[in-house]
Amino acid sequence: MDVWRIVVHIAILYGFYYIGAALQTWLDIAVPGSILGMFLLLLLLFTKVIRPEWIAKGTTLILAHMPLLFLPVTAGVIVYLDLFKGSGIFMIIVVYVSTLIVMLSTAWIAQTLINRGEKNG
Amino acid sequence: MGEFFTGVFFCIATILIYFLMKRIYTEYPHPFLLPIFTGTVVLVALLYYFDIPYESYMTGGQWIEHLLGPAVVALAYPLYNQRDMIRKFFKPLVISVLIGAMIGILSGYLFARLVKLDDFVILSLLPKSVTTPVAMEIAFATGGVPSLAGIFVMVAGIGGILTAPYLFRLFHIHDVFSKGVGTGCASHAIGTAKALENGEEEGAASSVSMTLSAIIVSLVVPLFTSFFF
Repeated sequence: MDVWRIVVHIAILYGFYYIGAALQTWLDIAVPGSILGMFLLLLLLFTKVIRPEWIAKGTTLILAHMPLLFLPVTAGVIVYLDLFKGSGIFMIIVVYVSTLIVMLSTAWIAQTLINRGEKNG
Repeated sequence: MGEFFTGVFFCIATILIYFLMKRIYTEYPHPFLLPIFTGTVVLVALLYYFDIPYESYMTGGQWIEHLLGPAVVALAYPLYNQRDMIRKFFKPLVISVLIGAMIGILSGYLFARLVKLDDFVILSLLPKSVTTPVAMEIAFATGGVPSLAGIFVMVAGIGGILTAPYLFRLFHIHDVFSKGVGTGCASHAIGTAKALENGEEEGAASSVSMTLSAIIVSLVVPLFTSFFF
């Protein structure tokens, strides 16, 4: 049954999330527990302790509908709508300009390194 | 019991709105019609119009939100699937994403200070380049507002893919892999979806870059904020 497989896969993801969250509390650091859980899963995938097919179906489903999961949180902007009035536009401009700088510098560095590698190799 | 049914109602309403918006996007795939954007607009408009407090909406909304943690964990899987590409391009990938992620945090911080934004706004926009669930977690952990972080991530995603073609042409970025890395590092999942439309290699590069940048930013931002706030 596919439905059960998906439920089990997501339950495994939950397991990693809770381990990550416990790890965060235990280490007393500000790195999100979910990221620590992701690290752990990645590690166990690479060391072949966890087989990809144990999480594949649930993972694919959850990633495909990711936007649904954060709709409730983004709707919370309703509490902060006043921020966007008047000079609030600066927030958007700051984010936009910084985004373009990131995009360009990252792509440029990658392209330069790859070209150099080809010439040397 | 009343609260339970309100919760069920808002939960189902959110899911319906999401699938409706997704369908509209399938018909008219324009960046401004992305479900995350239209869905947010529709939800905010409905809550506003019917005068529903956000807290009552969240009695149901929180059940959906609860899946965000496992969703972040799930990101390990596509990264693992791209392990051959990571091995092949390890050096250019890690160096460019590492520097790009740092530039994103620093430039965001400096510009925000320059126009004198409030601290809680700055803390919410520092993780703007990474995929929404991670950005929300980082904002929450550092004292920012997850909802605002979600909006800023949306701006980075939609703004990024609207400008990317011109930016890459203007600055002579022709290498497909590098375009993907830039798109993923700056515009996360929205960028990755767009990169996939351009081609498989660009999409794969963007997907790896997005997750790598999420890892780097989630390690660096908490450290950064502990010094500057």
